[in-house]
Parts: sequence; structure tokens; C-alpha cells
Amino acid sequence: MIYQLSVPAAVPGVEEIRILEWHGGAGSTFAAGDLIVELETHKAVVEVRAGQAGILREIKAEPGDWCAVGLRLALFSDSADEPLPEGDAAATDILVDFEVT
Amino acid sequence: MLYEQKPVMARMFFREAVTRAVREEMTRDPHVLILGQDVGSFGGSYREFDGLYKIFGPERIRDTPVAEAATVGIAAGVAAAGYRPLVSITYMDFLMLGFDALINYAAKLRYKTAGGLSAPMVVKTTAGAQGQGVAHSQCIEAWLMSVPGLRVVAPSTPADAYGLMKTALRSDGPVVYIDHKRLFPTPGDVPVTETSIPFGQACIRREGTDLTLVSHGYMMRVACDAAQIVAQDGISCEVIDLRSLAPLDIDTVAGSVERTGRLLTLEEGQTVCGVGTEVATRTFERTGPKPWMRIGALPAPVSSNPVLEAACIPDAPRVADAIRTLLTR
Repeated sequence: MIYQLSVPAAVPGVEEIRILEWHGGAGSTFAAGDLIVELETHKAVVEVRAGQAGILREIKAEPGDWCAVGLRLALFSDSADEPLPEGDAAATDILVDFEVT
Repeated sequence: MLYEQKPVMARMFFREAVTRAVREEMTRDPHVLILGQDVGSFGGSYREFDGLYKIFGPERIRDTPVAEAATVGIAAGVAAAGYRPLVSITYMDFLMLGFDALINYAAKLRYKTAGGLSAPMVVKTTAGAQGQGVAHSQCIEAWLMSVPGLRVVAPSTPADAYGLMKTALRSDGPVVYIDHKRLFPTPGDVPVTETSIPFGQACIRREGTDLTLVSHGYMMRVACDAAQIVAQDGISCEVIDLRSLAPLDIDTVAGSVERTGRLLTLEEGQTVCGVGTEVATRTFERTGPKPWMRIGALPAPVSSNPVLEAACIPDAPRVADAIRTLLTR
């Protein structure tokens, strides 16, 4: 199954975030609790951690890029060889936990 | 022209635009200092001075106690002695404590000394409601617009936050620079090359033909949202961002009202003796009377209760309703 990671509405009033650092690349495997990506708001860093296991397949926004809340940051799948959808076809949101520091 | 030249822009948060302006001016002029609560290693209440303490150190960035009257007074003194202090007042409500030094001393110094002394200082302060209640939410910029010798600016975008701060730190008299709590989370494009924005120049954010909507600061976002809402009904709003409240760019506003025939003013503060009332009076001195309405906070303290706060402060649907009402006049 294909999943998407979108920018979480982690901080009230924040409409757009900046990508700080990815903790893995295409092909990286994540277990529940692993740090996926750090996002930067005006005041805080948002740590996005996997809420379920998955394989990171494609990153849509690089460090330094800006991305609005709700937009897609990356695609994940259960197994490494599942074909990715074309374009922006809807995908289930991957479960995540996030911590604002 | 072979091609249209546009400035190269970099996207940044509002607070980063402030930081950049202050960093550039502190680098350019060793007389620029920062005074205020949590401005040192903490980097500012909104992180708007992030990283500057490491560069410029405690000689030029001084944490002050919770003593706004003393802080503004000290700044007026060091300004008179030839420095260019930037005073940070985290909540505009507490600038009231510094009014004596700001209004009776700094703003009048050049006049009192027949031009012998001046007080080139910037009071940077943060206005507006965001869940913090009656004494941490106010917008009192209209009180300051009537003080001779004082300049008042209120950026609504990161580019203006940058450009107006540059001009403020080079001004020869006291400037009150007003930002807003709800603007800090917003990013925007800022020119990569050093640029400043002169005081007294409003900016037309949206062109329109039916009505002129004038605002400043965070309420510019509400104004643009309202213009977008009524555009769906075929109503064309011209939206003007004042940017500078003193001096006020009446040329731009009056020119627009001549074209559209109607004026709506929007502010987050009180409407009695407010920014909108002043804008309308000075506009109609030029254009003759036109239909107008003013929108601001309800005549009540701003509650920390989110329901009551939202009820008190103008929002886009209410502004859209006022636009429709004004068009029937």
C-alpha cells in the first residue's frame, strides 16, 4: 500500500513551513517511532516521527524548500517494489507522531 | 525593453526579515544597539534577534529588566548622546510605561534644543490579539500618530518588515515600529539585495474599481481575504496597505478614492479617534465627502477567552458584509 506524508498542522497559526532535514532517503526503512523529518516554523522545530512501519520511496521537498500545511512531503509504501502512483493521485496518510521543540 | 527586470527574492519568515535588517544595520553602523527584555542570548521574544548576540555581544545587545519606562528613558539618553538604540517592547500595551520618555523627551528633543540634539531611536513593539487577554492584546498606534516628532510604521509583510526597519534604523528621530503577533508565523519573499522602504509610501496590494479598503499591519490579511470573498459576487475592491501611519500617504489613498468613490477603513484597534478616522478626514479634505465606513475592535477590552476575542476583533466575513453595505450607499 502507498502512503503519503503531508505537512502536519503542528503549530497554531502556521500556514507554511520550511524543510530542515530529512533523516533518510529513498529506500530507507522506518519503524514506528523513528525520526523521519524535521520541519521549521517561525519559532519551533517540528520532529515528525513514524507512527507505523514503512519504506520511504520519494521525497517531494528538499531542505530549504517551503511547503504549505497539508501538502505532500513524501511517499511511503509497505514493500520496496510497489509502483508509485502517477502525479498527485490521492494516497492514504501515513500515521505520524510529531513533537514541537 | 528586451526583458523585464525583477529583483531576485529569498523566502523567509517575518522574524527573519527583521533579524536581517537589524544585522545589516548593526554591521554597517557601530552606533546601533539593542535594548530590551530577552533580546540577548535568548534572541528576542519572537526570535527576531536570533543569532545577533553571538555576532555583536553584550556590549551592543543589552538585556534589560521588566522596566519599560527606564528602558525607553535610557534609550532616549543614549540616542541624544549619539547612538542609535533599538528598544524592544514585547507587548505594545507596556509601551504606555515608556510614553513619558518617548513623547516628552525623545520626540521633542530636536525642537527643545533648537536642532542641537536629536534622538535617533527605534521602539520596536508588537501589537495585537492572540489569546493573551486585556493587557497583552491592544493596538494603540492611533495614540502615537498625533505626536509631533514621532514617526510610526507598521509592516504587514516580511519584505516591508525588512525595508521599513532599515529606514527606521537610519532615521534622525524616534520611530515606533509596530509588528503583530500573528504576522511572525508568516513567510514572504524579500529582495536579496539590500533595499530600504521609505516612510510615507502606502502600497496598493490589490487593484479595484468599486471601493477603496485601507488598512495596515495584520489586518491587511483580513482585508485581502475580504476582498477575495466579495470578488466572488463581482465586487472589485482596491486594497491599500498604509505601511506608514506617520507620515501618512494620503496621496495614494485620495487618488484611489477619487477613482472608486467609496472608502472603508479597517484596523484592529478602536475606531474612536482611530487610524481610519484620521485617514478618512484627510482623504475627504482632498476629495470632498464620499460614502465611508470604519471597522475596528468593538468598544470592549480584548478577552483572553477565544470566543470573546474573536467577537471583538474584525474578521473577513464582517469586513465583506461592510463592503456590501457600503456599496448600497
